[in-house]
Amino acid sequence: MSGSANVGVHVDHESKEDPALLAEFQRKIDAGELIEVDDWMPAAYRKGMLMMAEHHANSEIVGALPEGEWITRAPSLRRKLALTAKVQDEVGHGQMLYRVSQDLGKSRDAMLRDLITGKTKYHNCFNYPAPQWADIAMIQWLIDGAAIMNQKTLADGAYGPYVRTMRRINMEEAFHFKSGEDMVLTLMSGTKRQRDMAQEAFDRWWGPSLMFFGPPDKPNARQLPPMRWRMKTVTNDDLRQRFVDRFIPAALDLGLKIHVVTKDEHGFVTSKKPDDKIALNKDTGHWEFTSPDWDEFFRVIRGNGPCNAKRLALRRLSYEQGRWVRQAILNGSGSLPPAA
Amino acid sequence: MPDLPEHLKKPFVNMLLAAADDKLFLGHRNSEWTGLGPILEEDIAFSSLAQDDMAHASALYELAGSIDGRTPDELAFGRTAEQYRCAAIVEVPDEFDWATAIARRFFCNHFDLLRLTRFSQSAYKPLSDLARRLVAEQQVHVTHVDDWVIRLGTGTPESHKRMQQAMDAIGPLAPELFEPLDDLKPLVDAGLYPGSDFTMYDEWTATVEHVLGQAHLTVQMEVGSPDDRGGRRGVHTQYLAPMLDEMCEVYRLEPKAAW
Ligand SMILES: [Fe+2]
Ligand SMILES: [Fe+2]
Repeated sequence: MSGSANVGVHVDHESKEDPALLAEFQRKIDAGELIEVDDWMPAAYRKGMLMMAEHHANSEIVGALPEGEWITRAPSLRRKLALTAKVQDEVGHGQMLYRVSQDLGKSRDAMLRDLITGKTKYHNCFNYPAPQWADIAMIQWLIDGAAIMNQKTLADGAYGPYVRTMRRINMEEAFHFKSGEDMVLTLMSGTKRQRDMAQEAFDRWWGPSLMFFGPPDKPNARQLPPMRWRMKTVTNDDLRQRFVDRFIPAALDLGLKIHVVTKDEHGFVTSKKPDDKIALNKDTGHWEFTSPDWDEFFRVIRGNGPCNAKRLALRRLSYEQGRWVRQAILNGSGSLPPAA
Repeated sequence: MPDLPEHLKKPFVNMLLAAADDKLFLGHRNSEWTGLGPILEEDIAFSSLAQDDMAHASALYELAGSIDGRTPDELAFGRTAEQYRCAAIVEVPDEFDWATAIARRFFCNHFDLLRLTRFSQSAYKPLSDLARRLVAEQQVHVTHVDDWVIRLGTGTPESHKRMQQAMDAIGPLAPELFEPLDDLKPLVDAGLYPGSDFTMYDEWTATVEHVLGQAHLTVQMEVGSPDDRGGRRGVHTQYLAPMLDEMCEVYRLEPKAAW
């Protein structure tokens, strides 16, 4: 996975900034030039980019957790190796994005601490459970699929270090998506039990996938700083529409059914009915669908989702268990043992 | 496929399984750290090592399967606990303690380097070809883990104390890696597993103690009696069965299905 611009970056007004510098900054962005770390930038832009990159980095390393739980249970040698490598990639994305954030002025340790104390957030979708192997297939297909769509547009942004990181990450995300597609296809062409597992996991992940791109946009989204400064380049709703246009027909082709569901506080489906809005609108060329439950979205984002506490507890355990190692290695010679 | 005398097939496969099982469970145990390592850079490196180990296991299962007809997945996931040939040191949990994880890798990596080197001189060409490729990667593992042992052993008072505790806990299990397999002698005599366990043991102890000396760490190791039956002959610790139950949780739902 996974990152996102749906962090909801609230960028302050730039009124305190020197108008000439600001005009030049906007000119560069409008001309498609990249902003580099040492270039002049409005304070609000620096703060916003740091928030965005840090949120994205947090999402990568928290996103490693639900899938990491399944490494020891992957059902074949091939899947076991692929899943380990995939989770490792996500940690690598986190590392690259923390580096982008560090260059914007916040230390890695401060970021890891803010994450485990809940001061900063990570992507909402990782607060949902992955109780079956099929959930791993759905995460890699739907969530990594959504992440690619989002991150491709972020690679068109204006902040050079972030843009270059997105390009690198997207190559690996494409690989994750392919592996997810292969897992879903394998399950859907398997036994009845496997198909049922896949459908149940799809029912759990369809809602979080729709929410992936963030809440519906404000009407003036395109005029607000995040888009005017090309921190993001496409609105949440446009991204969501691209996603459903691709994934509704793909899911139907595979024999999956799209349901509107209700869930309990653990994120498990308690009731479901077919989404009868699902249809291709011949006039617009777009697929129609039932919007996800935005009340649930805001409840989960405020920390009351099914797995928020569990994910943070594991990150905290990792942070605390590793403290003596970091003290011995990083405070000692200052460098790491050679890479494997 | 080059000929392997009929009466040596079973012990030969058994020997490959011992090597593959060690690698599989070492990799399995270490893969649990992916996403949770103490430093992001090392999290990534350590995961690569775990993946190498599991990939080596997979290649060795494939070779064993080419002789006895089972698939790598059947060999990895489809046996009962007493049919595995791994040593106790790869079975015990590390309790999410980095010092234990490093200590375990240290003994196993040095052992594997010597074992793979002997494999690379085997008269059975498919094995010697494979092992030559794996030895190169194994050398990287050894360098990496030696570096960690030394840095933690000589890092802070706390890291030294933790490493010493891990050596005290894991060290005594390490010589069991040398428990003799059933019917190993005919394989040695036929040049399929050239060299001698005695020479290998001496070399292993000398290297291990040399590195531990640099790390200011000590270890107590005693070779057991050949009559003590352990993992090489299917007698396992209490940790193997639950680890297998977890590893095979999904596989066993539909053992014949593709996943
Ligand atoms: Fe990622
Ligand atoms: Fe990914």
